[in-house]
Amino acid sequence: MEPVDRLYLDALAADAEVPAGSLRPQLLAGARARRRPAAPTAAWARPYAGRVAAMDALLASAGDDDWSRVVVEGWNLQELVAHLAAKDGLLAAAVGAPVLGPPITASDALGRTADVQAHERARSPEQTRRDWRAQADALCRHLAALAPEAPATLDGMETAVRDHALARALETWIHADDAARAAGVRLPHPVPEHIHPTADLCARLLPWTMLLSGLDGAGRALHLTLTGPGGGEWHVPLGVADTGAREPQARITADVVEFCFLLGGRGEPESFAAELEGDLGLARDVLRAAPALSGP
Amino acid sequence: MEAPDDDRLLHQRVVGGDEAALGEVYDRLSALIFGLSLRVTRDRVIAEDITQEVFLIFWERPLAYDPGRGTLRAWLATIAHRRAVDHVRAEERRRVSTLGPRLVEPPPPRLEETVLAADEAERVRRAVTALPDGLRQAVELAYYGGRTYRQVAEELGVPEGTAKSRIRLALRRLADALAEEEV
Repeated sequence: MEPVDRLYLDALAADAEVPAGSLRPQLLAGARARRRPAAPTAAWARPYAGRVAAMDALLASAGDDDWSRVVVEGWNLQELVAHLAAKDGLLAAAVGAPVLGPPITASDALGRTADVQAHERARSPEQTRRDWRAQADALCRHLAALAPEAPATLDGMETAVRDHALARALETWIHADDAARAAGVRLPHPVPEHIHPTADLCARLLPWTMLLSGLDGAGRALHLTLTGPGGGEWHVPLGVADTGAREPQARITADVVEFCFLLGGRGEPESFAAELEGDLGLARDVLRAAPALSGP
Repeated sequence: MEAPDDDRLLHQRVVGGDEAALGEVYDRLSALIFGLSLRVTRDRVIAEDITQEVFLIFWERPLAYDPGRGTLRAWLATIAHRRAVDHVRAEERRRVSTLGPRLVEPPPPRLEETVLAADEAERVRRAVTALPDGLRQAVELAYYGGRTYRQVAEELGVPEGTAKSRIRLALRRLADALAEEEV
């Protein structure tokens, strides 16, 4: 902006004129009609509701080119949205929320994804988008009534429903980012208070990603420092059955968003930007194993 | 110029579908956007419509704004200004068409990424020139010279508080001068 523009705006602000009545209530009513806000839900499910709203904002401006362009995994944008709907639907089924799309026959992520994608290919991208959003919003409203620690079994894994919702938040975030990159749009990060619990889930998953990679971290611990808005410090026991505090053998310091994305399968463990201290072999093992839980 | 952190955070919240953030953006910037629209259209009802529309556009398509490229204030002001100018031009065309065809059509306006058209920018510059010396120098240093309040104070040899209040007074005088010129 030119200095003279800035001067003009500052002069106008110094001489603020206010419309006769406040237009705020009309504005918010009009806004709701133009674009649906994030679905109301429990505080612990808000990171998910927020990423659904962000993904939907991206989809709102998608043209025919964007819908048909391959984004990730060989899927175009419509197939990617169908994939999100498939996985949201499995969580919805696990907690008794409404499921949209074809009846559930496969209860694993890949099988359900294939079913929903086959169903959606016969429909328009707008229909796919509408049902994905409707199912996600209904799930958010349903979660509002649940205790965060209530167990839910999804794809053979039983854990607190809060962690399933955070996993949905992470996956929706990562795929929205995939779609934004493909479209050449800059998608802002979630707010820090949504990043923090997502990063906390990622930190707590580390013993599992180690185990899945054939590395037994039992008896050892990591001190994790994640920097940037939403970051923090974590003490992570690296064995899945470990309890209690132990002196950490290794320390990792990294950017909080890049760390979440590494867990989500976006990033190279070998070239991952991190400061490592202590047992460097152990720290490198942790990073190498980090993407182990990321599916498509 | 990059947007400040609070612009970024409000943008993140609006992208995440947080209605309360839209309300906060409105509380912060609606008087400015309304004032700008009113100054161009000179019609309170139209200016209210444009103000509503500007904030609705931000809510509906928040990814069209990129905090890496400028402040939210400048982005919203640019949309408001463009809409207000479009309205005035449409009104002029309507008036002209009732008076009969013109022999030569004026060239279509170029929509630029600036808030002010060249002749309006010139009006602002003239109004600055007409300020009393003390106020004019402070404004020129702060805006055209990109100085901070403290640097303005040093160069003018006055306390920082004085420099600040001179700039504030100058801005109010400018607003008055620009408003008078339009009547």
